[in-house]
Amino acid sequence: MGSAELLQFIVAGLKNGSIYALVALGFTIVFASTGVINFAQGEFFMLGGMLSVLALQSLGLPLPAAILFGVLATTAVGVVFELLAIRPKKDGDPLSLIIITVGGSILLQSLARHMMGPDELPVPAFTQGRSIIFAGAAIERQTLWIWGITFAAVLALTILYRKTAFGRGMRACAIDRDGARLVGVDARMMVTASFGLAAMLGALAGAATAPLTQTVFNGGASIGVKGFAAAILGGLGNPIAAVLGGLLLGLIESLSVAFLSSTYKDAIALVVLLLVLFLRPQGLFGRKTKEKV
Amino acid sequence: MKLSINRLALALVLIVALAMLPLAGCATTTDDGGEDAATDEVKDPIVIGAVISVTGVYAGLGEPEKNAIEMEVARINEAGGINGHELQVIIEDDATDEAQSVTATSKLIEQDGVMAIIGATGTGQTMAMRGDIDRAAIPQLSMAGGTVVTGDFDPLVFQTPWSNTLVVPFLMQHLQDQGITKIGVIADSGGFGKDGVANIEGAVGDYGITIVANETFNPGDTDMTAQLTKIKGTDAEAVVMWSAGGGAAIVASNVEQLQMDIPLYGSHGNARMEFIDGAGAGAEGFMFPAGKILLPEAYGEGTEGYEVATDFIDRYTAEFGAAPSTFAGHAYDALYLIVDAARTLDEGFTSAELRDAIEATDAFVGIGGTFTFSADDHNGLTGDDLVLYKVENGEWVLVE
Repeated sequence: MGSAELLQFIVAGLKNGSIYALVALGFTIVFASTGVINFAQGEFFMLGGMLSVLALQSLGLPLPAAILFGVLATTAVGVVFELLAIRPKKDGDPLSLIIITVGGSILLQSLARHMMGPDELPVPAFTQGRSIIFAGAAIERQTLWIWGITFAAVLALTILYRKTAFGRGMRACAIDRDGARLVGVDARMMVTASFGLAAMLGALAGAATAPLTQTVFNGGASIGVKGFAAAILGGLGNPIAAVLGGLLLGLIESLSVAFLSSTYKDAIALVVLLLVLFLRPQGLFGRKTKEKV
Repeated sequence: MKLSINRLALALVLIVALAMLPLAGCATTTDDGGEDAATDEVKDPIVIGAVISVTGVYAGLGEPEKNAIEMEVARINEAGGINGHELQVIIEDDATDEAQSVTATSKLIEQDGVMAIIGATGTGQTMAMRGDIDRAAIPQLSMAGGTVVTGDFDPLVFQTPWSNTLVVPFLMQHLQDQGITKIGVIADSGGFGKDGVANIEGAVGDYGITIVANETFNPGDTDMTAQLTKIKGTDAEAVVMWSAGGGAAIVASNVEQLQMDIPLYGSHGNARMEFIDGAGAGAEGFMFPAGKILLPEAYGEGTEGYEVATDFIDRYTAEFGAAPSTFAGHAYDALYLIVDAARTLDEGFTSAELRDAIEATDAFVGIGGTFTFSADDHNGLTGDDLVLYKVENGEWVLVE
């Protein structure tokens, strides 16, 4: 295998990996604030693409405005979902909250199906033109957008978490909800914000991927599984770990195709994931948590 | 809740691994018939069932099928029904789920007492229904293209689409005519893709072609550049893709993105405008075999096939605002094969007589082609019902 080919496999892996990373970030943010896996995360990805199409076709907005609309509207859906479905069940046990998110996912998918129809819908590329050839490997322009958006999202999230009072409040809640409440952090507000943020990240990924894949009402389920796997692989609850987990998962898949078999690429990724969990249950990059018995 | 986070995570991974099935949408059920029809003077209605994937992964196929059936049933009844009997078609949604197709089939048989069933949309769902079909001994007309539907022969089961056993040799013949001897194959890991690959592997020898790369992808994958890079690294002279879902458009645009300079061929599963919309520039030059409904002039102007198809296309387009896909045509054919067979029978016919009448179909001109069934051929089409299309400027054109 030549170096150009190898580079092409790495480009493909990092492209898928960035998408997984954004979805994994959504899982990890909600998990940090609630201790719950949000199974509707994949639907936020789907809505990001679908609502952008809605804005393009029905509202006639230009592409950048339509993408912005798709992302903001999905963020609003995330917030409303938390207020209507999660908050009334405050301090409910995680299992029932998880089941609520599964229900939410089915609801959002069905709504999208009835509003937008069953067919794949196209979104134009953010910038037109042929792929860029770099050292013999072709890199699609949209891939550069995906990388840029992932990088910008991680940077913005880091600044939010480290430099703002709001972000520090979210981190405080992740460490200890009751403690955070005692020092005056509005913990319920933080949960709502985490759903909004997770929806926004999912929608960004969905809108950035739609020009490559089209968008369809049931497109969220499989990407949700991948994003969840990436979050677990990296280590749940840690944003940097989620991003690394996503990129790694993408690379494992792509290199499985290169050196082993495309038939088993998902199985290979899942085996790696299980191995990691057996050997390092906190995830590759997660910090070990103390177990209280 | 003293379950540790890590254990919870592990448990969830296992749950997800086991339940990788996509979450299916809520099932909606459309009843086209009511129990309110019969009065004393009116003859009893003839009730048939239809199991269609109106939601779920195959919703894009199921929707036009449902549209076509509803439109044609209304038309048949306006014209006096079947020998004076009203035709009722009860449509059940299987949500592209095999278990739900079985439930729908038993409901149609036990509660509605249907005489025949149209369906299902997908090959997996069609096969799942077989147990109930055999038990009730009623004819089934599948709209799924898998070879297994009629290859695994059941006297009760008929099939309206062109099966891969028909389409693959048609395409291989074209490749041979083009002097292509080495192909790279890429297919989805679903039933249609696997079936296509099995047929391609069986057929290439007869046409002097070798498979130099054989790659798969999963439904829902967002990028196939890795698989195509592998094909690009071989000396393949053409890429043959077998996939019916949205993944096909991604393959075509990835081929364009990698600037591969060998032709891409597909299958009758790609005869959807969504493919062209999704693949964009990647669709240009793409070639695939399919039936003649996409360009009715392929039937030959003035022929009966041309008249039937243009009439159907015009009425469908007027009613639903878009031209019918090939899948709408499969539903049309399934419905009329039953209706035409029923018209030949005497009052009070049984399901067994209906089956025999369907099997006796000789040169029925439908949308998918001209059907002639026999005791061992329940697909009834031939390679003459196929043509090769090419995408040019975002439109289908005939390849000569």
